[in-house]
Amino acid sequence: MRNSSRETKFEAVASQSDRALVERLTAGDDRALGELYDRHGTAMYALAVAIVRERADADEVVADAFGQAWRTAVRFDPSRGSVAAWLATITRTRALDLLRSRGRRARALARAASERNDGLAAPLAAAGDAPDRGIEREEAQRLVARSLAELPDVQRRVIELAYFGGLTQTEIAAELREPLGTVKTRMRAGMEKLRGSLAPLLSSEAS
Amino acid sequence: MTDHERYRELAGPYALDALEAEQRAPFEAHLAECATCRADVQAFREVAGALAHAAPAATPPPGLRDRVLREARQVRPLGAARTPRFPWIAAAASIALAIVAGYGYWRGRTERDGLRGAIATMQAQLDSADRVVATILDSTVGTADLAATGKAPTMRLYWNRVRGLVVVAAFDLPPAPSGRIYQLWAIKKGQNPVSVGTFNTAAGGRAIVTLPAPAGLRPDLSAVTEEPAGGSPQPTQQPFLVGAWQGI
Repeated sequence: MRNSSRETKFEAVASQSDRALVERLTAGDDRALGELYDRHGTAMYALAVAIVRERADADEVVADAFGQAWRTAVRFDPSRGSVAAWLATITRTRALDLLRSRGRRARALARAASERNDGLAAPLAAAGDAPDRGIEREEAQRLVARSLAELPDVQRRVIELAYFGGLTQTEIAAELREPLGTVKTRMRAGMEKLRGSLAPLLSSEAS
Repeated sequence: MTDHERYRELAGPYALDALEAEQRAPFEAHLAECATCRADVQAFREVAGALAHAAPAATPPPGLRDRVLREARQVRPLGAARTPRFPWIAAAASIALAIVAGYGYWRGRTERDGLRGAIATMQAQLDSADRVVATILDSTVGTADLAATGKAPTMRLYWNRVRGLVVVAAFDLPPAPSGRIYQLWAIKKGQNPVSVGTFNTAAGGRAIVTLPAPAGLRPDLSAVTEEPAGGSPQPTQQPFLVGAWQGI
């Protein structure tokens, strides 16, 4: 076990060098893009697969997302979050755009989530052995998995449908055949709980 | 229930992009004047961002890294394609830097940040000019003169394999029309053209830009086409400038 001061230092070094990589992108250094891929490519790919569900589509999403990061690195603002969070936002947006452009609207996900009570949180036990996952990422994954697992199923499902499915509250209500007011209440309550349980992660991301 | 209380409930779903458009617009108007809700949205955005960690593990295919790099090389990052008018830009930037630095000495603190930005921009231009000079003045540089049938435009290319950079110097080439861009290709005989990158000229018809050289390629020819903005994987038009490489 590492002590907490070492972890903090480790995270600081990791995010510092992430930012240095992004600065090199703005200078047109494509080797920095390769390094950024080596660090975050696996996590972005996992996120893309979770949203688009098809591996070939996930390839396209990740290539597009890195292309966008490359072109718009100059717009990265460290005061708004970490490089990892910035890349995740780009990847999610690209993945949802691709779903919409194919008219898929994440029905597959909605079905999968309805069939299985445990949603997306369950396979997390198997996560964490991919080569580019650092210690700090594994800890974040454990915390997020635990926090999601602590939510009532109905709250977790509406949040997953919004984040991974790109559905609005109205669309979620239609998908789950629940009243809109119920969906709103569940989403609000679930997000409040996550805000509390993920607090350790958020404060370190914001700093 | 006050307006604020009603809006406050929307911060979580807003951060998940789960609001309908007709709810989003009024909420954004409220955000503009409510610091509490802005702080809530910021916190919920971080919560939403952390959900990315909940994606089940998946291993990307081995070829994806190459694809990412190949596609990125087709375009330039915003702000990176500065076109210093070498060598004058270096001298001009030095003088301007000195003036800005002196000016900053006696100006108030509020202006200092802006000046720092100006200095950083000029420093970037100087670095860019340095890079052009260093790339061109190497002993191992190959060159190509590209010409059209007729007189203008002309272009000279410098390929520095050690540094992995290509310098493009274009003259008398009008800027590409809106939504279009010029794309430079490297061609090995018997193979498909490989994109070196895209560029555009300034109003005077000139451009000096540095592009990353495709690794491991020793081209026989280079050519320039006009392509849709963002570039094309393969040329979509006949090239209007063509030339052979020497000493590469």
